[in-house]
Amino acid sequence: MNSAIVCEHVTKRYSSLTAVNDVSFSVKEGEIFGLVGPNGAGKTTLIEMIEGLRTPDGGSIRALGLDPNKQGGELREKIGVLLQATSIQPDIKVKEALKLFASFYEHTVGDTAELLHTLSLEDKANSRFRKLSGGLKQRTAIALALVNDPVILFLDELTTGLDPQARRNMWDFVDKVRKEGKTVFLTTHYMEEAEKLCDRVAIIDYGKIIALDTPRGLIEQLGAESKVIFKIEDSDMDAAKFESIKSVSRAEKSPDGFTLYTRDENAALQGLVRLADKQGFRLTSIRTESPNLDDVFLTLTGREIRE
Amino acid sequence: MRGLWQFTLAELRLNLRNPTALFWSIAFPTLWMSLFGALFSEPMPGFGYEGLNYANFLLPAGISIVILASAFIGMPIALTTYRETGVLKRLRVTPLKISTLALGFTISQFLFIALVIVVLFVVGKIFFDVQVLGSWLALLGMIIFGMVTFLSLGSAIGSVVGSWRADAVITQIIFIPMMFLSDMFMPISIFPEWLQPICHALPLTPLNVILRDIVYGVPIDNLWQLGILGGWLVAGAVVTIVFFRWE
Ligand SMILES: Nc1ncnc2c1ncn2[C@@H]1O[C@H](COP(=O)(O)OP(=O)(O)O)[C@@H](O)[C@H]1O
Ligand SMILES: [Mg+2]
Repeated sequence: MNSAIVCEHVTKRYSSLTAVNDVSFSVKEGEIFGLVGPNGAGKTTLIEMIEGLRTPDGGSIRALGLDPNKQGGELREKIGVLLQATSIQPDIKVKEALKLFASFYEHTVGDTAELLHTLSLEDKANSRFRKLSGGLKQRTAIALALVNDPVILFLDELTTGLDPQARRNMWDFVDKVRKEGKTVFLTTHYMEEAEKLCDRVAIIDYGKIIALDTPRGLIEQLGAESKVIFKIEDSDMDAAKFESIKSVSRAEKSPDGFTLYTRDENAALQGLVRLADKQGFRLTSIRTESPNLDDVFLTLTGREIRE
Repeated sequence: MRGLWQFTLAELRLNLRNPTALFWSIAFPTLWMSLFGALFSEPMPGFGYEGLNYANFLLPAGISIVILASAFIGMPIALTTYRETGVLKRLRVTPLKISTLALGFTISQFLFIALVIVVLFVVGKIFFDVQVLGSWLALLGMIIFGMVTFLSLGSAIGSVVGSWRADAVITQIIFIPMMFLSDMFMPISIFPEWLQPICHALPLTPLNVILRDIVYGVPIDNLWQLGILGGWLVAGAVVTIVFFRWE
């Protein structure tokens, strides 16, 4: 399969700060690729270098085989971009904006009404951009990014600042785009979002890519264990007792209850229930926690990812 | 030049939707001409123009104000706002060329100013029966020359001013003093001698003087003033090209 984007040793400095530090990776055609990291990690700098908005200080970038700085005109025909903070002329109406942006491209989707429909913007076609809510602005910005039927869609902070409902709408939308076979390059600082949407995820911290794999792969590679968390009614019990359960590697007691660490949630749960049965204690509020990308980030950096 | 027409049209439409632009460009000069035209009947002494009524004397100044307001207030504010809010950045990731953007922006301002001048004329004609004694062709040519020069200066200001509070700075430091110093409200001869050369070098002075000469049918003997205007045109274009930033 061909690569839609190839970055080799890409570096960008702002005076003394190295915002992107010797980054290499490639994105396959048709892939949903996520760049994940905390604020200030260098996501926007990197994505905007690929879009040709910023010039790297070192390394090389190819998008669809083109150099974003030297062949920017040709590249821009084929990409759609959602900037981190998009703004268009505040008093322009949604349908006017679509028509305007469509006029910039050689090849367009043809039917902008269809685009309005895809993003559920039909009712807002005659609204001015500045009067729209955050979620509607974001949807309008995406409609504009899709107006040229792009080969690669860049989405910088797709859901930042959106309420949970609007965020879920965006996720559904990315699923639609995936089915159309477009390549998507997105950034986010929500691990959950990356895990849910992306085929592959690159974790970036202080300008360096510190891990890159499928979400599953990252979690497995980490070797993190699932947790089984529960309480018992007579909590006067020793945590060590649970370590006899098959597949449980470690047990901890805290004021909140007990936590068992395991690589096999199923076996641990069964063993726990059997033990409770045999010893005659009552289990309450049982839940399990699978390791997720947040744990991956925590393990790799020793910090929690925060907004 | 793909997108030029749509971009020009969109910007023109947005101008007509913008209350600030509408006030300064249409309401202010029209009201000003009407108010003073109704209050006084004779031209201000000291300018040496005679014959036509006061509103007619104000008409060329009104045209200058329209051009000045659109080019120095409307356009730089639009440009700085577009830059600060990321509109220019968004346009930059489309295939729209910077030359197309600049041209479309200029043409839309041009059409907007032309429209406003027509309004000014119609109001003047209906209420004060204003006349043009000189050549209409010369008037048109001068208006176009003035528009191009001031749009060039306006885009230079928009390029340099960057992130300051552009509107306040431009109005207070450039716009208002220039209106007083450029032979518009009071003749330059009332100012101290050291100030007079500066007055003559301002871009607005030649525009005022020549427009008025044409309206009064005075033979134009001040061609050197066209040179001053031309100099400002070139200077504005150079500054725009050197300092223009997308972000
Ligand atoms: N234009 C700029 N000039 C100077 N520093 C910048 C500029 N853009 C970003 N930075 C700095 O570079 C780092 C990375 O920023 P950015 O790429 O925006 O990160 P992210 O998108 O991951 O939040 C930050 O420390 C930021 O302050
Ligand atoms: Mg960012």
